[in-house]
Amino acid sequence: MSIVREWTGENRMESQELTALAAALVHDVGHGPFSHAFESVGNELGLKLADHEQMSDQLIRKSEIAEILRELGSGFANDVADMIKKDGWQTVHNAVVSSQFDADRLDYMRRDRLMTGTQQSAIDLKWLLANLQIAKVPVGVDELKFGEVPTFVIGLKAIPAAEAYVLGNFQLYPAVYFHKTTRGAEKIFAELLVRLVKLVRDESGSAVGLEATHPLMKFAKAPDDVGTVVNLDDTVIWGALPQLRESEDQLVKSFAVRLQDRKLFKCIDIRVLVYHGIDPKNVADKRHIELTDKCCEKILDKLGTLKEEKRTADGVPTILTDKASRSPYKTGGGSRGPVERINVQTEGGDLIDLKQRSDVVAALRDFKLVRAYYDPEYPALKDDILAIVKREVAACC
Amino acid sequence: MLLIQPELVVAIVRDAGGRVIGRTRLQKIAYLLDAVGFCDGFHFIYKHYGPFSEGVAASAMMGVLLGHITEDREQAAWGGIYSIYSVDAQPDYRVPVGRCELARRAKDSDAVALELAATAVFLSRANYDDPWFETAIRKPEKYKSGRLTQAMELLAELKQIDVPIPLPDNV
Repeated sequence: MSIVREWTGENRMESQELTALAAALVHDVGHGPFSHAFESVGNELGLKLADHEQMSDQLIRKSEIAEILRELGSGFANDVADMIKKDGWQTVHNAVVSSQFDADRLDYMRRDRLMTGTQQSAIDLKWLLANLQIAKVPVGVDELKFGEVPTFVIGLKAIPAAEAYVLGNFQLYPAVYFHKTTRGAEKIFAELLVRLVKLVRDESGSAVGLEATHPLMKFAKAPDDVGTVVNLDDTVIWGALPQLRESEDQLVKSFAVRLQDRKLFKCIDIRVLVYHGIDPKNVADKRHIELTDKCCEKILDKLGTLKEEKRTADGVPTILTDKASRSPYKTGGGSRGPVERINVQTEGGDLIDLKQRSDVVAALRDFKLVRAYYDPEYPALKDDILAIVKREVAACC
Repeated sequence: MLLIQPELVVAIVRDAGGRVIGRTRLQKIAYLLDAVGFCDGFHFIYKHYGPFSEGVAASAMMGVLLGHITEDREQAAWGGIYSIYSVDAQPDYRVPVGRCELARRAKDSDAVALELAATAVFLSRANYDDPWFETAIRKPEKYKSGRLTQAMELLAELKQIDVPIPLPDNV
C-alpha cells in the first residue's frame, strides 16, 4: 500500500485503500470444501453457488460479513464486492486485489509452497516489492481501445525476480495444484458429491447414509441457499466419510472408503504417452502440439464410452478422466492486453512486455494434462486404456 | 454441466456472415441470440466484461481444434490480442431470417457498445429497474465517448427484428 500511497500522493489511509484491504481479505470467502474440486461439482450439476465468485459476492453483500463491513460505512460492503467483481472505476487499488502482482498471488505462492513442502517456486518478494512501480496501461475490448487504467509495473532491476515469479507460479501447477494424486482424489470426491446430490434430488436420500440434518444433506436439498452452502467446509466432508462408507449406495460407499483409506485410482498420463507417440524426437512445434491436442480429444471421447461400459454392476465407475491446462504467461496479456501482462518500464520510460526482455519467459509453453484413472482392482483396465491410446495415436500420425 | 457444442458456435459465426472479430463480440452475439430465443444451449453468467458463457468459450476452442472454425489471432494497436473467427459453412436457409439479421447487426457494431448493450439486457433480465443506469455504474470507463448512446441505438435497432422473445422494454 505504501507504493500506492506514493503514487496517489495520499499520506493517510483513504477509503479506496480500506476497500482494497478488505477486498483482499475477503475475496475468497465463497470457496466451498476443497475449493476448485467443489466448483467442478457445481459445474456438473448447474449449481450457481458452487461458483466461489458468486458465493463470495453474496456473502460480502448480504451475510454477517456485510454487517461487519458496514460498520465502516453504509455502502462499504457493496464497494468491496464491486472491487472484487471489477465493477466501477478501475483505480490502482484494484491492482492490489487483481493484477499480475496482486496480494492474493504473492501470498498463495509463498503459503502453498510452505504448506506442501515443495522447495520449488521460491520468489524474492522483497526485491519484487522494492521494484514495483505504478503506470497507466491501455485497456480495450477486442480490437478497440477504450481507455487507460493504472496498474503495477516493474523496473528493469526486477526482471530476474519477475522471471522467477512467472516460472515459480507456473511450476506450482504440475508440482502441487495438478499433482496426479491430488487430482485423482478430487475426481473421486467430485463423483461422490455429484452422486449424493442426485440421490437426494431423486428422493433417494435415505440411501446416502447421513441424517437429514447433516450439512451435506441440507445442501443437497437446497443448493441455491447461501445458508446451506456456507455450512460446508473440508472438515464437514472428512467428518461425513465414516457414515458415508456405510451408505446403501455403492458409489457413495466405495468412494467414501477410497477417500478415507486413501485407496485411490491409478493414474495413466495420457497426454505424455500421446505426445511421445506423435513427437518422439521432441520437435515441439505447433503442428505436433496441435496434433497431440486433437488426438487427446479423440481418446477422451473413447474413454468416455469405455467409462460407461466398465462401470460395475452397481453402477460404480472404474475409470475416471481428467483434463486441465495452465498458461504460464499470455502473450501480450491475452485478450485483456497490457493490464494482464508484466510490464517493464524501460530506460526510456516506455512500457514493454516482460516477454520482450526475457527469453526464458518467451520460451514457456502451456502445461496441459489429460489423464485417465482406473480402479486397480481391475488391472485389465490399464490394458484397455493403453490399447485405445495406441490405436488413436496410430490413427493420428 | 458444461456442454461443449462446437456446432452451435459454428452456426453463430455462419449466421453472422461467416466472420466474427473478437471473443467479446462472439460472446455477446451468442448472449443476445440466447436472450431473444434464437439459441438454446449455453448458460451465461455476469462478469465485469458483460454476460459470459464458459460453454461458448470452450465450444469455440473445440471447434477450432476440430477444424470446423478458423481462429486467427491478431495484436490490436492498444496491445491486446483479439481473435478473428471464420467458418466456411454455407448459409442454412432453414434458419429464421431474424436470427441472421440480429447476428449480423451485432457483428458489425462497436465491440464496447455491443458489450454495454448485452450487459443492459442481462441486467434487465436480472430484474434491475434501470439497467442502463446500472450498466453505467458498473462500467464507467466504457460508457464514455458516446458508447452508451451507441448501445441504446443498437438495441433500438435490434428491437425492430422479428424474434421469438422480445428484448426487454426497459432497455
